[in-house]
Amino acid sequence: MSYQKLFDTTISDKTVKAWRDSGKKAVGYVCCHVPEEIFYAADVLPVRLRATGCVDSSDAEAWMSSFSCSFSRSVLQYLLNGTYQLDGLVQTDGCMMAARILDNWEHISNKKSEEQFLHQIGAPRITDEYTIEYYKSELKEFADALGEFSGTKVTDEGLKAAVAKTNEMRSLIAKVYELRRAENPVVTGAEVLSITLAECDTSVDEYIEMLKEFLADAENRKPVEPRVRLMVIGSALDNPDYIQVIEEKGGIVVADDLCFASRAFGGQIEVDDKDVLGSIAKYYLSRHTCPRSLDNRPAMHHEILSKCKEYGVQGVIYQKMQNCECWGGESYYLEPDLRSIGIPMMQLEREEHMANAGQLSIRAEAFIEMLEEK
Amino acid sequence: MANEKKKLEFAEGEKINLIDLTCRQVDSIYQHMLSKNKPELMWMFDIQKFQWEEVRDAHRNGKKLVAFGGPVPVELIRAFDCVPFFLDTISTRIASQEELCGRFIDETEKYAPASMCGIDKAQLGCILKGELGVQVDAFVHATVPCDSARIAYPIMERVFNCPCFTFDCPFRHDDKGYRYLAGQFDRFVAFMEELTGLKWDAERYEVFKGLMEESNRAYSALIKIAELRKKKPCPLPGRTLVLNELVACMSGTEACTMMLETQLSMGEMLADMGMSASKCPEERYRVCLMQNMLWSDTGILDWMEKTYGAVTVMDGYGYQDGILYEDLDNWENIKYIGAKKMLHTPMIHGATGPAEYWIRIIDKMYDDYDVNVSIFMGHVGCKHTWASGKIVTDMIQEKYGIPTLYVDVDAIDPRYKSTEELQAQIAEYMESVVGATKF
Ligand code: SF4
Ligand code: SF4
Repeated sequence: MSYQKLFDTTISDKTVKAWRDSGKKAVGYVCCHVPEEIFYAADVLPVRLRATGCVDSSDAEAWMSSFSCSFSRSVLQYLLNGTYQLDGLVQTDGCMMAARILDNWEHISNKKSEEQFLHQIGAPRITDEYTIEYYKSELKEFADALGEFSGTKVTDEGLKAAVAKTNEMRSLIAKVYELRRAENPVVTGAEVLSITLAECDTSVDEYIEMLKEFLADAENRKPVEPRVRLMVIGSALDNPDYIQVIEEKGGIVVADDLCFASRAFGGQIEVDDKDVLGSIAKYYLSRHTCPRSLDNRPAMHHEILSKCKEYGVQGVIYQKMQNCECWGGESYYLEPDLRSIGIPMMQLEREEHMANAGQLSIRAEAFIEMLEEK
Repeated sequence: MANEKKKLEFAEGEKINLIDLTCRQVDSIYQHMLSKNKPELMWMFDIQKFQWEEVRDAHRNGKKLVAFGGPVPVELIRAFDCVPFFLDTISTRIASQEELCGRFIDETEKYAPASMCGIDKAQLGCILKGELGVQVDAFVHATVPCDSARIAYPIMERVFNCPCFTFDCPFRHDDKGYRYLAGQFDRFVAFMEELTGLKWDAERYEVFKGLMEESNRAYSALIKIAELRKKKPCPLPGRTLVLNELVACMSGTEACTMMLETQLSMGEMLADMGMSASKCPEERYRVCLMQNMLWSDTGILDWMEKTYGAVTVMDGYGYQDGILYEDLDNWENIKYIGAKKMLHTPMIHGATGPAEYWIRIIDKMYDDYDVNVSIFMGHVGCKHTWASGKIVTDMIQEKYGIPTLYVDVDAIDPRYKSTEELQAQIAEYMESVVGATKF
């Protein structure tokens, strides 16, 4: 098997089609609080929806208005225009924008009398034993509904088998991230984002194989000699071209805090045999995917600072999607925190469709020059 | 009401004390009304005076001041002899005062996106500038209503640097959701015990019971007012809807009950005479605001009444199911009802869960109030309601046959759109789509 698919950022329907052609179901999901393990245990292919490459979301805009964030709008556009051909959609209330994708899709598919598996999971916004228990009950409802839909009941054994695979995937991604620590890394930031995005529409088995092959081949790759080492944080970023524009100016993105990248793959699920679903709930609710929660900001900031140290980051780029409130307010505390360890932060606004690459390039160049002079 | 269009001027570098300033403003309107000798109107001003002076004087009266955001059980805060201070009322209060509102919104926009909701931007800006003018002893907030609030609250927690409590509100508003929220009440009681040093004992529970009874009186009046507004013509003007929102922070106080009961009896009296206090000679159209009140320009409601006889009979923010406390000695039951009340608080009820909840409210409201003009005065900050706007307006078109006018407004920041611009947009719709003529 070739691992080239890891670097093909277009949304592929190959796996989905093959899966569905074999009589099984493929269901989309938005945001990081929908555990893939439950899909696999129900023998359903999870497809994390993204909007990479969407240049026109006008049909979705009619539904969600121009005040919505263009990531969410573009995901809906891809559902509307058939880029995604799926058997359903599952959603958590990551942010309210993303939550509205499900509302609109439900309404649209009802109108078209299209049969879809539609499910909403409520993910608490603070993390403690009580909230994890509630989230677990939400996951249980989801698991039961999905099992009924697919015809494969979700069992502890099924979940454990799925966790074994996703944990392996996480370890392999951790190895990919290891490569970034080198003084002259053999992978660029844009490439790493491509790799993590590829997981969205690939089955876990296929993905693991590709990652293994890539890692085996990594030493043959040409190291990059960067001018400065950067970290990218902020709103859902599903477009490696964005990072590439920055890297073309001589910086290399060696770390990130993105929900389509490191945040989606952090840590490992520790399975308690007596409470398998509870272990999954604990993992998903405890990891800090984004500032959707109310009690995770200091911890998130602390992790960003630690990553800066770990990866030798010299500057942080905080990109915010217009109308994305979820990632809207981190600068007030994060900027001074970063400054206290000597790391400048640059803030950029962006839209899903990268229409302002020229401006990004100018800002990135100025930032890189400023960092070099430090 | 928050619609004085007076210009305020601040010297360079001048520090404001917002609460003092507000108390002075409210008092001057109060004295002015007193001098006009119109005792029948004083109920509208009594409540505002009480509200702001209670916050200002909390410490002087030996009470702790508990700032809050989102839905919280205010009666429980009062039961611990504290004054609950709803931070959203800062924003709705200053909404029409361009200089003040701009001052705070601009401050927030230095750190947060301009697209954030004005309700949160205005209060956060005031806090960031250190111009609240009162020291907050605790901060209690929920994880709702929205992403804007979720930017603001964690920052406020750190700025206030005082004991904080968070209610995690579920996405679903059903039995399971109520139980989940109810399960957090005991922890909140323990928090209040620690904050105040007071025990949650039989004596305190009696105080709480009294507050629940008072709260029930207020909500009963509110339910009757909502019922009364269904009459044709609607006996009460659109403007009084703004006042009724105070119940969210004032329920449990006699002042709140009195304001609502007086309003109710006035409305009933007018209805008995077949009259209306609205500003038009004849009610021709019945309008429901689908989302928020337009605090930044409440005068638009008067203008619609005067110009077209279009009376705002209800608003999506203020429309509520009116849940009352029952079986007051049963704490387990009270927690459940309390949770239910929280999730049915205006704005929370329609804006925090699946779009389906909002659709249900609008559908019921259009049906109950026999609406014949549909205007979506959409607050730009409330992007998630915009993102379900088409689902709602499609339903209105299909079920009620009414085409909806979409107007983007900023419910808080008056700089967003001038009154003239807004009037022009509404006039065009009223005249060309509805076929209305001016009086
Ligand atoms: S930033 Fe958070 S809310 Fe938004 S897509 Fe990512 S995980 Fe979901
Ligand atoms: S109006 Fe909308 S955006 Fe503003 S606080 Fe309320 S729910 Fe949030």
